[in-house]
Amino acid sequence: MDWIQFVLAPQIVNGLAIGVAVVLMALGLTIIFGLLDVINMAHGEFYAIGAYVAVALLGAGLTFWWALALTPLLMALIGYVTERSLIQRVFHSKDRHTLTLLLTFGIGIVLEDILKLVFGANPLRVEAPISGATEMLGLFFPNYRLFVMGLGASIIIAVWVLVFRTSLGAMVRAAAFDRQMTASLGVPVNRVYAATFAFGVALAGVSGVLLAPIYSVFPTMGRDFVLIAFSVVIIGGMGSIKGAVIAGLLLTQIQSISSLFISPVWGDPLLFGIMVLVLMWRPQGLFGRLGHA
Amino acid sequence: MKLKAITTTPRINVKRLGIATALASAALGLPVCAMAQDASVIRIGVVTPLSGTYAGIGQQVKWGLDLAAAQLNASGGILGRKLELIYEDEEANPAVAVQKAEKLFQVSKVDFLTGTVNSGSTLAVGQVAERNARLIATTVSFADSITGDKCSPNVFRVNARAGMQSAALADWMASTRPNANVFYLGPDYEMGRSTVAAFKSAAEGKGAKTAGEVFAPLDNKDYSPFFGQIRAARPTVIYTSVAGNDTVRLFNQMSEFGVSNNIQIVGASGTVTSQNLPAIGKAANGFVTGVGYSPLLDSPENKKFIADFQAAAKTQPDLYGADSYGVLFFYKAAVEKAKSTDTDKVREAMRGLQWATPQGMKTMRAGDHQAMQEMYAVKVNNTQFEIVGKVAAANAIGPDTCTKF
Amino acid sequence: MHEVTSRSLGHPARALHWLAGLFFGLALVFAIVAWTVGDVFFFRLGTEALIFAGLALSVDLLLGRTGLLPLGQALFFGMGAYVSALVLKNWSSSFWIAIAVALVFSAITGLIGGLIAIRSKGVYFALISFGLAQVVSKIIFNTRELGASDGMIGVPVAQIAPGLESGQPAGFFLVVLSILFILYAGLAYLMETPFGRQLGAVRTNEQRLSFLGVDPWRTKLAAFVGAACIAGVSGALYPMLRGFVSPELMFFQVSGNAVINVIVGGTGTLIGPVYGSALLTVLRSVVGSYTAHHQIVIGILFILVVIVLPRGLIGLAAPALQERLGRREGAVRTPILHAEHPQ
Repeated sequence: MDWIQFVLAPQIVNGLAIGVAVVLMALGLTIIFGLLDVINMAHGEFYAIGAYVAVALLGAGLTFWWALALTPLLMALIGYVTERSLIQRVFHSKDRHTLTLLLTFGIGIVLEDILKLVFGANPLRVEAPISGATEMLGLFFPNYRLFVMGLGASIIIAVWVLVFRTSLGAMVRAAAFDRQMTASLGVPVNRVYAATFAFGVALAGVSGVLLAPIYSVFPTMGRDFVLIAFSVVIIGGMGSIKGAVIAGLLLTQIQSISSLFISPVWGDPLLFGIMVLVLMWRPQGLFGRLGHA
Repeated sequence: MKLKAITTTPRINVKRLGIATALASAALGLPVCAMAQDASVIRIGVVTPLSGTYAGIGQQVKWGLDLAAAQLNASGGILGRKLELIYEDEEANPAVAVQKAEKLFQVSKVDFLTGTVNSGSTLAVGQVAERNARLIATTVSFADSITGDKCSPNVFRVNARAGMQSAALADWMASTRPNANVFYLGPDYEMGRSTVAAFKSAAEGKGAKTAGEVFAPLDNKDYSPFFGQIRAARPTVIYTSVAGNDTVRLFNQMSEFGVSNNIQIVGASGTVTSQNLPAIGKAANGFVTGVGYSPLLDSPENKKFIADFQAAAKTQPDLYGADSYGVLFFYKAAVEKAKSTDTDKVREAMRGLQWATPQGMKTMRAGDHQAMQEMYAVKVNNTQFEIVGKVAAANAIGPDTCTKF
Repeated sequence: MHEVTSRSLGHPARALHWLAGLFFGLALVFAIVAWTVGDVFFFRLGTEALIFAGLALSVDLLLGRTGLLPLGQALFFGMGAYVSALVLKNWSSSFWIAIAVALVFSAITGLIGGLIAIRSKGVYFALISFGLAQVVSKIIFNTRELGASDGMIGVPVAQIAPGLESGQPAGFFLVVLSILFILYAGLAYLMETPFGRQLGAVRTNEQRLSFLGVDPWRTKLAAFVGAACIAGVSGALYPMLRGFVSPELMFFQVSGNAVINVIVGGTGTLIGPVYGSALLTVLRSVVGSYTAHHQIVIGILFILVVIVLPRGLIGLAAPALQERLGRREGAVRTPILHAEHPQ
């Protein structure tokens, strides 16, 4: 009983905090793939840019809350411009999957080096806006992490509502399902695509800001989440929001709890192994594709 | 589907091939220019990470070397010859370091080489030096093996190695917290584990007890899964060998969760450095480690060095800058003693050599090419490294385990 | 753009062979010049470029010819390097034994890796190959017996023949050049065989291939194992050149660079990646001496190629060259129409 209260329970709760972070990352990725059919290898870099934008805004004298509000808007702009100027150019090719993967891979390389150029290679600090910790049932929990969990959950719900319960979301889903038809119905499909990409990038950027006080800011921070985010998206089903959420929370729990029994170094390989098994037996993931689900 | 007749000839490719040829010939042409060199200059090659994660350390190395070269040239150079530093970026990748080192030896014809940061690069470049009959010195790498079982007759080390750092720290811990209960947390790779193991044996030799040990993956994001274990072990001291970004995360998260309250945190020399200290902020206060240099060292030489460094680089030196500054004076002393830059003569002169540095006098042990110096235990307090303990050179150095020469 | 020529599926073979001849010819000229001036550094740099050209060939076999994008090919390259280093240090300093052991090892690991990865395609394959490389390189990074994060130094020179060993800059350069030539020629020939056609068919339309009674899975697996062997043999040459191995040889940077070399050079042309490797190795070295931010330059170049020149340099040059060669032979000029897919 002691073990459950003092070892297992904190592990589960910690896993939830990490899980929310991973889900936010995976969400942007799966929306971009599900709706645009674009594999965004630069997603980690956009996450990093979000954190750096917050650093810049904080350096200019704004408070964390302003940074949190403004960063997604700036990131959306960056995402929109990237999509219109670069990604759309390879969009109509037969080899779209490969080309967008390669293109975003190249974009990622350039972005990471630009961050190093502008901000230097050393890590930077973002002060958490909420300090202190709460004690519940003998568990010690930092308030900021509780806030991140709460806000993260709200964002996830908001995204789901946006995609499935609004007409904007319906337009986006229609464009993903059948581009020609949607265009012929008068929907500006190119702009919808660009806006969707921008949205996914904004999600990554928001994660960057939220997580910066916990995980600190440095140019290669994008690589933190790449493998796990892609694994979650694949296991959950590329393009499925429900899949990203469930797979994200489930997998981080598996990692968190398994670290009690096996060496934590095997955490990522374990995830990777699960991903390989899922790909071998159920390649469309747990929940299939957004546009078609 | 479009249909197109074959008669058009794209012209772009000629231009492209032209550019490619121009680039290729430029690459070949550059070294030809380099070959027309001034024979009365002593060329020192510097292979150091100027990009990538270790760029911060590489920058300090550069500042230290530049300052020393400027000062030496102002006072007449070495044996009347001026010094010229030639930099190459090794990207903290031994494969690149080896390529660049060979370029410096073969094409730029450097007389001496320094600047490598990670141990893998130092070891690999040491081999290149052997092939080219030149000497190298490292000012940063602290793996014991470089002057231990993987020693080389062409490799010298002017900075303190891991064993010396552990000795200084273990000594401090034994005198301030006798019979401490220590919890070990390290990154799960060879360097992280061996650093923990080395300190553990030094500490246990002085009466400390082990409360627990855990190894987190390298580049681990979140250390909170380990805090339950740490709390349950109730240690009085936590020793960690994480470095760089990992330290920032560990310390910030420990302070977030209140794990470090009333516990003394100690660690390896690379754990808290001037590169990550600003990002760790207050969470680093109270951290103690063993090093060979602190800017707060109270000596006239150090004060002058810091003033000169500040004027030239607009920032304070750290131990990498200080040791890199010292290496050129080491080389100068050796060349003057040997009255030549010939490799064998200089090597002979370097063995047993004593030279002045901002940290006081250092002695180069002949048996393994490891510099001996007084070691310090330092405590971080509001971004300053205060000196809280000292160990004499002879006590810190440890045994000579090099059997290759 | 697809051109239908009489020989191979979509590649102007004559022009490519001509360009290949040009490359090897230029390499020989380079060797003669460098040998006369007694150079060491450029020979070794050139040898390194050729070794990575071998890796690029293995990537092109998968990407350009089978339609699978590998993001972890450095795994086999690095493992080949480690195996070769171990053989040379502990068993025999014979060049041939080291290569043979590396070849066998690569075939076995290629088979295992292939069985895991081949079931998927497209981005899934890319991610599995990426993940495999990450996991294995992490294991090696931690294994003390393999030198852990420092790698292993002290690899002796390999004896190739009486009087010829890998420490000789000019000699080893020619040896590696010959090996690259054999690999290239072998692959080029293979592409003309029925197996080569099967690969092309897998890339174009896998489903239809199975209707023809050919099992695409086996074809892909064979290509994967072949690519692993090529990468492994190339990797085995590295410690002979530099005398050490380190885990960085398996890191994503190496895989990523290989993919960039292939794309810039010309996917599917086989000789394009070789050109791409040579050019980009030189470019990286030159730009790296001027600025610490050379990744931006390489990255932008790569993006431009992907958007503007998806067929790569050789992919662009070859059709034009093919035309010129055809014209010079005085062939009857009837406008040949080709089908063009929307880009």
